[in-house]
Amino acid sequence: MTSPSPSARKGLSKIACNRLQKELVEWQVNPPAGFKHKVTDNLQRWVIEVNGAPGTLYANETYQLQVDFPEHYPMEAPQVIFLPPAPLHPHIYSNGHICLDILYDSWSPAMTVSSICISILSMLSSSTVKQRPADNDRYVKNCRNGRSPKETRWWFHDDKV
Amino acid sequence: MAEEEVAAEVEAVEAVYGEDCVVLNPFPPHLKVHIKPRTADVSSQQFVEATIGIQANSKYPDEPPIVTIVDSKGLDEQRQNHLITSIRDRAAELSSCLMLVALCEEAVEKLSSMNHPDGDCPLCLYPLLVEEEGSTSMPFMKLMSCFHCFHCECIIRWYSWLQTRKEVDHDNTAGRHEDEDNKGQCPVCRKVFLPKDIEHVLHLAGTSDFSSVENDVVDEEDILLSNSEKERRQKFEAILKLQQENSGLIEPKRHEVLLPGVYLPRPAPTPAAISDKEAKDQQSENAAENSGTTPGGSSNRPSTSKHRNFPAKKHYRGRGRNPGKNASKWTPKESGAAS
Repeated sequence: MTSPSPSARKGLSKIACNRLQKELVEWQVNPPAGFKHKVTDNLQRWVIEVNGAPGTLYANETYQLQVDFPEHYPMEAPQVIFLPPAPLHPHIYSNGHICLDILYDSWSPAMTVSSICISILSMLSSSTVKQRPADNDRYVKNCRNGRSPKETRWWFHDDKV
Repeated sequence: MAEEEVAAEVEAVEAVYGEDCVVLNPFPPHLKVHIKPRTADVSSQQFVEATIGIQANSKYPDEPPIVTIVDSKGLDEQRQNHLITSIRDRAAELSSCLMLVALCEEAVEKLSSMNHPDGDCPLCLYPLLVEEEGSTSMPFMKLMSCFHCFHCECIIRWYSWLQTRKEVDHDNTAGRHEDEDNKGQCPVCRKVFLPKDIEHVLHLAGTSDFSSVENDVVDEEDILLSNSEKERRQKFEAILKLQQENSGLIEPKRHEVLLPGVYLPRPAPTPAAISDKEAKDQQSENAAENSGTTPGGSSNRPSTSKHRNFPAKKHYRGRGRNPGKNASKWTPKESGAAS
């Protein structure tokens, strides 16, 4: 999962570059609570540290999100996955893929890395049980060739967690 | 003060604001007034609006009415506070005078002075309105239904992108609802908007209008699929074969199809608004593919953009998401679904 995804290899468009620089500045001024951007010189791939919110199942745990931006960001959603080890969560597969509609079908260009992070933290925080999705093994097996989660045809049916 | 005078004042407000005024109670007066900035009724130039509630008690006008904002668009909390404070200040000033009309006028005045979008474009995150002198801001617009504002260029880019994707989906999923076609969604609130909602700003973004872009698509598909195109390709293949057999030498006059003009491409369609790097790649790829069969022919027919080029269409999803891969390596999405 750490190898560059095919979609990330194509360089960012000028629009994407401007927008990401703007987001980065905004992040530095006003980072979302519980997240830390690991500084690199790569604008196209952000690695973000997530701290589980206090009082939730993931309190005191730290995970890493990898965000890869496509050429036409923000028209296209970024690819967001957890780097191993991915948190145990009913919507997070053991390969780090996250079943969250805003990352795929419900993406809107008005969303930002910051708002994605908040959604993911909210998803983690509302979990009541630490377990993998029911179809984890089948799904992960299907993804063995390093397929991006954006290639998956997701079904979003659970709005509780 | 006499009840009749107050009743007459309520009538005056009704007369001034017409349908925008709803009288919930004539005495003591309780009204809701829909306030718009003065924009000479050009609704596309109206970026803010508010409905204010004015509720007086039986001691009005000795006691000023309670003024609230019932609903508003385009105003953040700070600007809402600014509006309500200025109306209340005015009410305090006019204490014991009949003030309903004056309060509404104050609201109109304030809204007119605040009639511009606030903050950043949600798409590029740069300010919608640059207030420093000497700097020019990009043209912006609002969506008519929700009053969310964007740079014209940004929202048009998003709309074109949506249309592009729908075209691709259309190929893959038969039987989509036709009427969903030209609609867009507000990136902020997902409220549906129609092409007409952004048509009035197309010229500001320097793009050709959508209908002509769409026509290009149709034209190109027609050209590429038409019988004459098929015939032309067959004829050309025959010539090419002959040419190869003759070690590259052929006599033009013996082959009618080589007469001047026969291979000339149709007039090039205007390059589309989103002709990006990928489109250029596609174009050169096409050129390479075609040069074997049609030198100087279809290779210089520009593919305005990857998705408008028919042969590339089926590859789009694969190419769009895995631009590094060859189209031939593309495989359809797995039908197995994950939850």
